Amino acid sequence: MEHALLTTTAGIFVAAASGIIGSFLVLRKMTLISDALSHVALPGIALGILFSFEPLLGGLGFLFVAALLIWKIEEKTKLAIESVTGVLFVSALAIGTLLIEEHELLEAFFGSVESVTFAEALLQIGLSLIILGIMAKFWKPLLLTSIAPDLSAAEKISRSRMELLLLILIALTITIGISFVGVLLMSALLIIPAATARNIAHNLTAFVVLSVTFAIISLGSGIGIATITEINPGIITALVSAGLFVISLPFTKKS
Amino acid sequence: MEEKKPILTARNISVAFNGMPPVLTNVSFEVKDKDMLAVIGPNGAGKSVLLKTLIGIIKPTAGNFSFRSGTTIGYLPQRFHVDYYLPMTIKEFLGLKPHPKYSIDEALGLVNIGNDWKGKKLGLISSGQLQQVLLAWSIMHQPNLLLVDEPTENVDIGGQESIYHLLHHLKEKLGTAVVIVSHDLTAVSHHASNVLCINTHRVCYGPPELTITKESISSLYGEKAFLHYHPHKHEH
Repeated sequence: MEHALLTTTAGIFVAAASGIIGSFLVLRKMTLISDALSHVALPGIALGILFSFEPLLGGLGFLFVAALLIWKIEEKTKLAIESVTGVLFVSALAIGTLLIEEHELLEAFFGSVESVTFAEALLQIGLSLIILGIMAKFWKPLLLTSIAPDLSAAEKISRSRMELLLLILIALTITIGISFVGVLLMSALLIIPAATARNIAHNLTAFVVLSVTFAIISLGSGIGIATITEINPGIITALVSAGLFVISLPFTKKS
Repeated sequence: MEEKKPILTARNISVAFNGMPPVLTNVSFEVKDKDMLAVIGPNGAGKSVLLKTLIGIIKPTAGNFSFRSGTTIGYLPQRFHVDYYLPMTIKEFLGLKPHPKYSIDEALGLVNIGNDWKGKKLGLISSGQLQQVLLAWSIMHQPNLLLVDEPTENVDIGGQESIYHLLHHLKEKLGTAVVIVSHDLTAVSHHASNVLCINTHRVCYGPPELTITKESISSLYGEKAFLHYHPHKHEH
């Protein structure tokens, strides 16, 4: 009972952070990069399992390095970032799959509620609060660099720094989300709720509130059903969020 | 009395990208309080590059420029792509402005946009209306130097007049200096105090009556261009 309460609480915090970060990714059209980035956590999780340390921290380490790498590549070269990330992240997925034992692979890919430990749930709540706090502080400059880079440059807001900040926030959000939804279905929590919200929302406030609401409904359903069945939470989360997206489609034209 | 230092001094600015032929070569000019400097030249002459250099988006490869201490800059870009689906109203967009001195209502009033517009989605207004919203953005912090890149592009005739009227108001009442990139030579000759003609390098520089001549326009736009220039149309 205590475990269910704690994981549900952690799930609400994780979904709130994902809904907000996801709304930025949809605004910036960074949806594919964030999806690919989540795969990079897998080798880190594998190292955690192999060497008996918190797998989430292993995932966080790999995500952090990958975020810095993307930022540097974008900053210093004219390479098409999609190609570079494609090569890097497919390799990461392959290496991670090789390192993780078969029976643990399903959890890593599609998430789990049972395996979320007390420490992990606390880490998820703590990191969610950090993400929400940073977002509250940098809301305006992050938003301005996302929709109007030239205007933000004129306001002396560093686009490069804001991009790095957003990449780090994405890495943190993926870190706290993958235990619930797995490395393959992170988009169900990060992208689909925000895309659904965009179909309906007439203004920014509604967009963000709806994105958070849909993320909470999706992950809440995932955690709830996973607690009473054998189905991995990521799968239910993905199906619920995709269902909400389909329901939102008729509203797209009207808004 | 000692003359006040120019608000902007640019000396021999050159810009080139990655070994390509230079986009700007040795462009020098200065802007004083209440000046309206019009930058004219054909497409690809480097006008927008010059403004982007001044606000720091592009680094000059040679030369330098300096602003008088305490100068605050407003910038209106030539193009601003807004996604049709962007879920953001005009009010929310203007609410992102750092350190505003005008309220959203005041800024919209200055660019002749009614309050009932505030709730409209940014992606659903016309490009001319968007231009007016951007102008409201660029003046919200009451800059003393305004850099505007073709502000009347896609704006209807009434809107064009109100934009020039606003620029005049800012210049005369608040002492705002304006650097404006424009293709509208008639409006430039009527409103600008100085003209900088460029075609990657400086072709002419001075008051409109000395710079907008048959020779300079032919040199910038080709022999037949002067035929399309009708200064008498806008004279009051």
